[in-house]
Amino acid sequence: MTTSDPKRRVKIKDMGDVITGVVLFGFALVLLFYLVPNYINEPPILQNPMMSPQWLPRIVGWLILLFSILLIFQGLLVSGPSEEDERMIEKGSPRRFFMMVVALVIYVALFESMGAVFCGILATLVLFVAHPVRTWWVYSMAFLFPIVVAFLFVEVMNVPLPMMPFWL
Amino acid sequence: MEIFSEVIQLFFSVENFLAIAVGVVIGVVVGSIPGLTATMAVALALPFTFSMQPIAAILLLVGIYKGGMYGGSITAILIRTPGSPASACTLLDGYPMAQQGHAKKALKAALYSSVIADFISNIALIFFAAYLAKIALNFGAPEFFWLICFSLTIIISLASGSMIKGLMAALLGILLSMVGLDDVFGSQRLTFGSYNLMDSISFIPLLIGLFAIPEIIEFYRKKAVPHIKAKASGAGLAFSELKRCMKSIVRGSLIGVVIGAIPGTGATAAAFISYSDARRRSPNKANFGKGEVEGVAAAEAGNNGVAGATMIPLLSLGIPGDVITAIILGAFMVHGLTPGPLMFQENLSLIYALFMGIMLSSVILLVVGNVAIKYFSLIADIPKPVLFPIVLMFCVYGAYAVNNDTFDVGLMLAFGVLGYIFNRAAIPAAPFLIGFILGPMFEDNLRRSLLIGSNDLSIFVRGPITWFFIALTVGSIALAFYRFLEERRKTQDKASKTS
Amino acid sequence: MKNIFTATCIAACSSALALGVTVSSASADEWPSNDVRLVVPYAPGGTTDVLSRRVADLLQQELDANVIVENRPGAGSTVGTGRLARGGRDADHTILMASPGHTIGAAIYPDLTYDPVDDFVFLQNMIDIPNVMVVPADSPYENVIDFVEAAKEDNMTFSHSGVGSSIHMSGELFKTLTETNLTAVPFAGSGAALPALLGGDVDVAFENMPTVLSHIRSGDLRALAVTSAERSEYLPDVPTLSEIGEYNLDQFITTAWFGLIAHSSFPEEAQSTMREALANVMEREEFLDFAEQLGAEPGQVAGEEFKQFIADDLQRWEEVAQQAGISQ
Repeated sequence: MTTSDPKRRVKIKDMGDVITGVVLFGFALVLLFYLVPNYINEPPILQNPMMSPQWLPRIVGWLILLFSILLIFQGLLVSGPSEEDERMIEKGSPRRFFMMVVALVIYVALFESMGAVFCGILATLVLFVAHPVRTWWVYSMAFLFPIVVAFLFVEVMNVPLPMMPFWL
Repeated sequence: MEIFSEVIQLFFSVENFLAIAVGVVIGVVVGSIPGLTATMAVALALPFTFSMQPIAAILLLVGIYKGGMYGGSITAILIRTPGSPASACTLLDGYPMAQQGHAKKALKAALYSSVIADFISNIALIFFAAYLAKIALNFGAPEFFWLICFSLTIIISLASGSMIKGLMAALLGILLSMVGLDDVFGSQRLTFGSYNLMDSISFIPLLIGLFAIPEIIEFYRKKAVPHIKAKASGAGLAFSELKRCMKSIVRGSLIGVVIGAIPGTGATAAAFISYSDARRRSPNKANFGKGEVEGVAAAEAGNNGVAGATMIPLLSLGIPGDVITAIILGAFMVHGLTPGPLMFQENLSLIYALFMGIMLSSVILLVVGNVAIKYFSLIADIPKPVLFPIVLMFCVYGAYAVNNDTFDVGLMLAFGVLGYIFNRAAIPAAPFLIGFILGPMFEDNLRRSLLIGSNDLSIFVRGPITWFFIALTVGSIALAFYRFLEERRKTQDKASKTS
Repeated sequence: MKNIFTATCIAACSSALALGVTVSSASADEWPSNDVRLVVPYAPGGTTDVLSRRVADLLQQELDANVIVENRPGAGSTVGTGRLARGGRDADHTILMASPGHTIGAAIYPDLTYDPVDDFVFLQNMIDIPNVMVVPADSPYENVIDFVEAAKEDNMTFSHSGVGSSIHMSGELFKTLTETNLTAVPFAGSGAALPALLGGDVDVAFENMPTVLSHIRSGDLRALAVTSAERSEYLPDVPTLSEIGEYNLDQFITTAWFGLIAHSSFPEEAQSTMREALANVMEREEFLDFAEQLGAEPGQVAGEEFKQFIADDLQRWEEVAQQAGISQ
């Protein structure tokens, strides 16, 4: 988004805002004409339109629509101030990013079936390797922390976590 | 005189002192762990109070409550992970401060303002309980509605950078808060048949996801930079800085007291109102959100000012203002005591002993907080590649623990991605959060007023409290509009000068 | 790093000091061969949670096994209950504290994945809490008849603690039976609902006894009737609704009941061990004191009787939900 080439930036002042505006514009349309009528039931008898469960979502939808148009115009006409620099980052290697995604997926997909300790150790190791951390003893933390923290949660504070892999 | 000795006898016992101390310690520790809130700690400690003396039992729970209120700010400042919902506002300035190497200063500012606010709140509880309780009872749905309208106007002052994006974020927050079962008809809204969504989106996973996770994603998307070994925790808080923040702290405490005395609003709203008020008045307005001590102080004063004041409706009316006080009410009842006007007649000495304990808890919070800062601030010195994986683990465990459900883990990570997109698109997260918190209150109180008034709109202007908040709302919008025009003129002047 | 660890240790020790580390003790031969899980389908802090933790504490002593309380809140109580209904590997050591949400939830939530009666075994009804019909102290209505007559003329409002709560459904039941113009005003919990009643914003409420007892005693609220079958020992002068004898109110008997249930595959041996242990718990002084402080009466039914009670309760709420248009 932010690395749009300088030639186009002459015409469009802030590409990020335009894209954000367009996405939100589309979202507002989906919300107003598909989600609200189909996924919010309205009771048959209503004494006052403001009582309807659809009332506020509809208003919010129209306001999002309005602001998304304003945002597109802002992106076209007003150049973003110095915040452009803040949004710019030096991208790392795709491998590093990919391994972070893997770690997140481990937590979502395996947490219930493999238990908190196993996932904690695995994901932490993956993230250490991703950076990569070169101090060898730090890797012991990846084992120590999940075990100690899970123990604290479950045994000391009586907050249950999924503990065991499913076959145990 | 007789009552005096009775109070002394009731209060001065090892058990009471121990209860407060242990409570505050548990509160600070649990409050600082993401996902484990003071509410949860109070609920989990409740069964252990069954066998204790009534005063010690209540003081233990109050200690946890107060410790938890403060503890949440520790991780908010250090790792951008609000330990409890109310500390979300603290991180707006606390985390940037820690990033600039002022972690210790931010933590101290949070502690001192918490303790001062706590103290003011206790004073209000002891001396003005009866008066504030009366206000609370006159606070019906229409009054609430206007209070929320006024609170919504703080979004304008929080939306730094682009006003459009700030309002957009708030709208998205409101929209998201409406997922779940409708409060009046029980019909489903945008749940897509998912049972996990019927109770609406859990606040804690949203909070952790929105603030902590984007930081982690960003770190791994950036190129690895070698860690510079330096003492990052930095220096403490100078007295002159505390003095500079004093006005904001006192004002924030009073805001907290009023919000706390009204059942059902909550510390999170108080923190944001106090923060935006401090920002509006501060000479360093531009520095807010970028690491301003006064911002940390105001936010913490707001949320800790609530703690003592929520005891006002509880003790004087027997009405719990939030979940924690509802649990404390349960603890009273288990010991055969029913808070309310009768308790002031029947158990006066017990109430005074309780007050003494509550006062003492502020002092203990100061001591425990100082020790906690000493150790916790070392977190700021841990290199990020080691810290972030462990933070992520805490976040996941905490999100799971809220409802014992992996769905919330997924939800948290989804909000993490959303928060990251927000960061990239420069959409501020704070207005989103306010929309999420205040959206349902706005809608509920609007509809409640209509139901109570049988669709007669005159209920919205029924008394002085409504007039007061209408005036505040209109004034706040007018002021924001005036500021907007002023700034516009300035930038235009600048632009014409440079061209 | 070392200091962080020290801090963690300090945290661990201080928490352990206060909360107490549980040590497991169990023998392999007979039930319970493992820790028993008590699922609370609500968030920590509510009546169900407090009761469950008290019961778990006492049950632990009777069973000679750990009883671990686990909160699984969501969608009334249907998320936690649905999980129990799915069974799984430790279904033979899992019990659940059911409450009116069990039947009301089944009546108002669409497409439940379980059958609220047939998928479970019903162990023991632990306590019953009656609801009280209360009006503000300055209300002109001195008794139920006055109120009903006025409510037939004018539009009246009642506050409740959330759609599908026993407080809400009691109001809807009253409205249906007496054919009056009552409008439900929802609040987020009884704590938020009470000020509206005390301040006179709503006309009436059917609140849980423990919530309003102190206000009735202090004179801030006036009790018109209780909803249980017999008068409550806490309010002996207040009639029951079924006593009124008019406007179909003789059919108005409800209490907020709390009882333990388990998955239908819960072993026979475990059921009998459990029932015996629970009967012992209910005789204990601590339990009776606790019930009294809650304003509750010890539960009456167990086993098949309890099951029948649930089936009747379910049928009633289904009718009310349908007539009030709450089932979506």
